[in-house]
Amino acid sequence: MAQDAPGAVGARLSPKLDEASLIRAVQRGDQDAFEQLVRAYDQSVLRLAVNLLRSQEDARDVFQEAFLRVYRSIDSFRFDCSFHTWLYRIVTNICLDYLRKRKVRKEEPAVVDTPEGPLDRMNDFQEEAAHADPERNMWNRQLGQRIEGALGGLTPRERMVFELRHYQGLRLRNIGEILGTSEEAAKNCLFRATQKMRAVLGDFQ
Amino acid sequence: MNCESVSKLIPLYFYGELPPEEEDRLEQHLDTCADCARQAESQRALSAALDRREMQPSAALLAECRHDLMRAVYRHEGPVLRSARPAVSRPFVETLTAWLPSLGPWRMPLGASALLALGFVAARVTTPGAAGPFNLASLTPDVISAVRSVQPAHNSSQPGEVQIVLDETRRRVVSGQLNDSNIQRLILAAAHDENNAGVRWESVDLLNSHSDSSQVRELLLNRVAEDPNPGVRLKALDGLKTYAGDPEVRKVLAQVLTHDDNSGVRIAAVDALTAHADDNMVGFLQSVVEKEDNTYVRRRCVKALQDMNASIGTF
Repeated sequence: MAQDAPGAVGARLSPKLDEASLIRAVQRGDQDAFEQLVRAYDQSVLRLAVNLLRSQEDARDVFQEAFLRVYRSIDSFRFDCSFHTWLYRIVTNICLDYLRKRKVRKEEPAVVDTPEGPLDRMNDFQEEAAHADPERNMWNRQLGQRIEGALGGLTPRERMVFELRHYQGLRLRNIGEILGTSEEAAKNCLFRATQKMRAVLGDFQ
Repeated sequence: MNCESVSKLIPLYFYGELPPEEEDRLEQHLDTCADCARQAESQRALSAALDRREMQPSAALLAECRHDLMRAVYRHEGPVLRSARPAVSRPFVETLTAWLPSLGPWRMPLGASALLALGFVAARVTTPGAAGPFNLASLTPDVISAVRSVQPAHNSSQPGEVQIVLDETRRRVVSGQLNDSNIQRLILAAAHDENNAGVRWESVDLLNSHSDSSQVRELLLNRVAEDPNPGVRLKALDGLKTYAGDPEVRKVLAQVLTHDDNSGVRIAAVDALTAHADDNMVGFLQSVVEKEDNTYVRRRCVKALQDMNASIGTF
């Protein structure tokens, strides 16, 4: 029954390329090496930002800000942790800032009202094909709204731990390392997050 | 193991975060406790529901993000930015240093030589005392001296006298409107200053707003094709975007797309080229798709071919 979510991040570099050499090349100012390094991680970074922030515009901003920050500060990368962990520290910090700002100004709903009727801002994303059964569609829509509500009820940190564990497939130890906390604290966070969501989604499951 | 502790462990169990022996104990408990088994089932259902809401960013969004990032990197960010830089005109220096990573200690002398070159050009286009197009009151002389040699004065009657030879460069500040032909001539000359990429970039940047002039457009085409610095080439491409439908401009853009070794410049070139549907480009775009290393550039060409209902490959 125990499962590990697929698609653990990174490791998209060609096996013949040594990541450390690539990083050193970027530190020497090689922009092509930077582009190659970005390519190894950018899909997971964008997926994290999109799922976490539920907004294409914010995800784009996070993507750009994170990788520019990597580019500007790669000189300070001293190989004392994996590049993946270092990159994810940057990305999660930026995402947490976005989530916290949103908490202050209230969560932006994924579905917004327009003069033409309700519009799902996430329609551009590739999701499962809509089911032909209208009843099933209705149920899916309600479940979707309930999930948005459940995710919105988590604290930014709970949301982040849940996202990294459930969707990105990272181990809790690694998540603790990324977020600058202990594995135990990450475990507690995950527990609280799942409890809250089970409470909200109970009758929908 | 009691129900309370099992309840806390269920999420960890589900995500495979329990040590094997603890997992065994928990499974034994679930076999005998219907309440906890229901909780485990609830966790599984929650996970399945959340899986259905996972969003996969589209390939187009990823391509746009990559494009925006590399443009930002090529335009404003350079490895040299990470090292110390002098505190002068920020945009200018950022650009200059970004594109001159290897000059190191030579930057200042080269900057001085660029000013010197500008000084000569200024001297050629201005007549001292004449009521020309420049605001003469704004010409502010500033003499920069460098010691060429120091030696005892052999022919002096005074013992202990020394002779110092100074090289002096006169700096002038010239101001005027960009549409003033003399100012434009100065800037056109500065855009060719081979010693200073920063001056070339600034000049091209200023001239971009006057790309309706054929002389300026010719300069921009020249810089796109010939400038050794990718930042300057990229800046010149910006000025040519409006004219991307012009056959002469398209010819140069195509040349850039196939020959420029900088992917950021090729990205800008393909953006400009494919912004205008052009059936004559089918064969060219197909060959780019075949040879190009950069995914974004290939994707833009493929998209342009699809928009023209043309095949992607050649047969």
